[in-house]
Amino acid sequence: MSMRQIQLNVIDLPKADYTGGPSSLCPGCGHDQISNVIIQAAWENGIAPETIAKMSGIGCSSKTPAYFLGKSHGFNTVHGRMPSVTTGANMVNKDLAFLGVSGDGDTASIGIGQFVHAIRRNLNMVYIIENNGVYGLTKGQYSATVERGSKKKKGEVNENPPIDLCKMAINLGCGFVARSFSGSKKQLTALLRAALSHRGMAVIDVISPCVTFANNDESYRSYNYVKTNEEELHAVDYIPHFTPIEEVEIPEGEFDDIELFDGSTLRLETLGGDHDPSDAVAALAAVHDAEQNDKHVTGLLYYDSKMKTADEALGLTETPLVDLPEEQLRPSKVALDELNQSFRT
Amino acid sequence: MRMAKTVNDFTINIATANGTGSQSANLILLHSMFEMGVPVSGKNLFPSNISGLPTWFIIRASDEGYQAPGDTTHVQVVMNKDTWLADVEKAEAGTIIIHNMDVKLPVERDDCVVLGMPMTKMARSINPRLARMIANMYYVGALAETLGIDQNAINSAVAQQFKGKDKAIELNLQAISEGREYARENWDCDIGYAIEARDKDPNTFLIEGNEAAALGCIFGGINMLSWYPITPSSSLAEALIAWLPKLRQADDGGATCAVIQAEDELAAAGMVVGAGWAGGRGMTCTSGPGISLMSEFIGLAYFAEVPGVIWDINRVGPSTGLPTRTQQGDLNLLYEASHGDTQHIVLIPGTVDECFEFGWRAFDVAEQFQTLVFGFSDLDLGMNRWATAGFEYPDQKLDRGKVIRTQEQLDAIENFGRYRDVDGDGIPYRTLPGSGLEPILYRGTGHDEDGIYSEDPGIYAATVARLKRKIEGARDLLPAPILREENDKQVGIIYYGSVENTITEIDDILESTTGLKVSTCRVRALPYHSEVERFVAEYDKVIVLEINRDGQLYGILRKELPVEHLSKLHSVAFSDGIPPRARVYAEMILKTLTSDTTEVIA
Ligand SMILES: Cc1ncc(C[n+]2csc(CCOP(=O)(O)OP(=O)(O)O)c2C)c(N)n1
Ligand code: SF4
Ligand SMILES: [Mg+2]
Repeated sequence: MSMRQIQLNVIDLPKADYTGGPSSLCPGCGHDQISNVIIQAAWENGIAPETIAKMSGIGCSSKTPAYFLGKSHGFNTVHGRMPSVTTGANMVNKDLAFLGVSGDGDTASIGIGQFVHAIRRNLNMVYIIENNGVYGLTKGQYSATVERGSKKKKGEVNENPPIDLCKMAINLGCGFVARSFSGSKKQLTALLRAALSHRGMAVIDVISPCVTFANNDESYRSYNYVKTNEEELHAVDYIPHFTPIEEVEIPEGEFDDIELFDGSTLRLETLGGDHDPSDAVAALAAVHDAEQNDKHVTGLLYYDSKMKTADEALGLTETPLVDLPEEQLRPSKVALDELNQSFRT
Repeated sequence: MRMAKTVNDFTINIATANGTGSQSANLILLHSMFEMGVPVSGKNLFPSNISGLPTWFIIRASDEGYQAPGDTTHVQVVMNKDTWLADVEKAEAGTIIIHNMDVKLPVERDDCVVLGMPMTKMARSINPRLARMIANMYYVGALAETLGIDQNAINSAVAQQFKGKDKAIELNLQAISEGREYARENWDCDIGYAIEARDKDPNTFLIEGNEAAALGCIFGGINMLSWYPITPSSSLAEALIAWLPKLRQADDGGATCAVIQAEDELAAAGMVVGAGWAGGRGMTCTSGPGISLMSEFIGLAYFAEVPGVIWDINRVGPSTGLPTRTQQGDLNLLYEASHGDTQHIVLIPGTVDECFEFGWRAFDVAEQFQTLVFGFSDLDLGMNRWATAGFEYPDQKLDRGKVIRTQEQLDAIENFGRYRDVDGDGIPYRTLPGSGLEPILYRGTGHDEDGIYSEDPGIYAATVARLKRKIEGARDLLPAPILREENDKQVGIIYYGSVENTITEIDDILESTTGLKVSTCRVRALPYHSEVERFVAEYDKVIVLEINRDGQLYGILRKELPVEHLSKLHSVAFSDGIPPRARVYAEMILKTLTSDTTEVIA
């Protein structure tokens, strides 16, 4: 019998501990690529699976929590309302690492209010939008993120302007806003690993082609189109807190290091122009310019680590509320007697 | 000049404009009578805006303990020029009309006792800036003098109203004593009605149902309150916000309950579901329009079996309806909220003591049955002040339900599955996120006993059958009805919620006018207790009395009771937004009983 070498992560778990059930999505769907990246990123970051909570709404994208992190609890909620369920869970257990996946229909239409307010509160979660420009699950209607001029497989060219979820998040003061492409495995993995190391709302809007309803060349979210029209802001590299940064090879060109909440680093290597992710106006301009030219700009658009998260702002006690003993949850008999007495006088 | 005085048995109606500070004056009157040991109730009929619309405050003093507004107004105070003529006109002959002469509108009622006082002018002379508000204290003084309200009681009520604000206390007391003086010197002070002190139980105090429910939630270990403002539920959330820091701070000074003002009721409900899913005690409070919005989440909680609590403080529907008036129009909505076959547990307090009790108990019931539980109150109970002798400490520890917290507990269960009915009571076991024990992906889609997605017909049918069994099993574990039974088993009345405040008077009217002795059964929870069925079985005729148009509990009983009882059931349902008046309902009951062919009343 030969001992096969199984690769383990920093907490000695094999990657198999991060996988989920078999996918039932259409073969080639971008969402499956994102699931693989989630598995890879969580494993590489060495996050204990039981500390993660997988959250989603409704849609093909929102089904994917069944296909990754099988050792984590999850909640496939109702259409567009994942943020509120996550908020409630976060309030009573702030130690959970919330990883939400949603679709462009789920987030930009029915759920746009909850998306906006979760950002406004700086809910401590990673929020991935698997953005294909259509409602996959209900058979390919346009969603509100589809670009003007784009055309899905069947039907007319879309003439309505898109709702750009990154622009929206930046305008709302979200502290971590990135755009990526399901086909850019390296970039997406680095960005997701960084998002998992961030404290506060991290929005990653991932272009994720729907092979069944919008993978034709006239669709701005088809594989072909994105591959030829993606503009990367920078090359991204993630250096985990458990790897001494001195041991990492220093890039030849210019680069910027962003230190993340857990001590890890996101290294941004300048490619052409230089983008300063602390500059919200520059981030908005980058998205705007790309949109004007029918391009997709990807990378870390905006970063700001200074804001208080929703649970911090409420001044909750140190222990997660779900772990409080009865004595902390129910005031004493004496307290009630005093209360009654105070009403009498 | 009247011969005999009517003591502690009359109704005062005070007509003012909203936002003029009359609420303080009215509460001082109410509390001073209460302070003297007189059974008294106060109802605020207020408009749905902040300032300027007419408001009536109705105070009923009743040695019998009647708490309904009363059918006749004996003393009418008129302060509001907008409703002046109508207020004056609708007074019955013989009414005492006290009015503010400075409004300069006529009170042409030769058949009434008309007493005027230049309230605004007098108020202006002691404080020009606050004259509009202080003018109200003059009718307090006038009523105190004419009815014989003890000055000590007034002093303590004023002190309570303006807690710690010495300036305000002084100013208002001055106005009250000037009002007294004016009445003494200018009016014939024997108006025929009087307040006489009674032995007051020193333990009693007045409190709003919403505040009582909020305190109950605090003693029930609430971990998260999410809310979106709506009358008449906002004061429940606001009471929680006010009391939580005082009663529920952790040793490190941190909060043990998160409070979130949600972006809408959908989000508020979602947060409750999220909190329950993660193992916490989440609650939101709202009124009918909010429940309508929450419906999708209510179904999710039911089907995915997530505990949570929602308080509905009923106002008049449909739609925006009469936002500041009372009704029992949401019962059906709550019991079967959301699409598909659903059934929810509803706890229905009828007193402030029960608002407190169900406040904490609702969390236990929700976790015990892993489902959404409603607290069902209304504007009358929630926003008016009612007497209590003090709240009782919970008689049981927190019931956290079937939660598996350790590997040993998990190992002790053979063939664990999130939705497997291991104990035969329809209630499965659950593990919590973060525990690492048997993680599953919760979902609102069809699922098998292990929580795995399934569209299998047999599995679906078995799942919903188990859910039915689970909620059925709650019947006799929920608060039992309160029964008041006569030996003569002719007529029984089934009622619920705030009708409690009117039932004794209805009962007395029935007995005094027809000699009929009725038994009563106050339902305190849905699904209803088996005692309710027993009650129906034993009586010849059963009236189901409620404050709505369609007879909603009547409908539920018709659906669920054995068919042989149905011919006994009669609905008496009426709602016009005003808290129930005993005579209106008594007459409807009599009509219902006599219109039937079988002779009931001898
Ligand atoms: C309240 C409600 N309305 C409508 C639907 C039907 N529905 C299911 S998924 C979906 C759209 C999903 O689109 P998206 O979020 O983009 O996900 P995708 O399938 O494209 O990944 C809709 C409209 C629903 N489930 N619930
Ligand atoms: S329909 Fe589109 S989005 Fe849905 S699984 Fe298929 S390819 Fe993916
Ligand atoms: Mg989509």
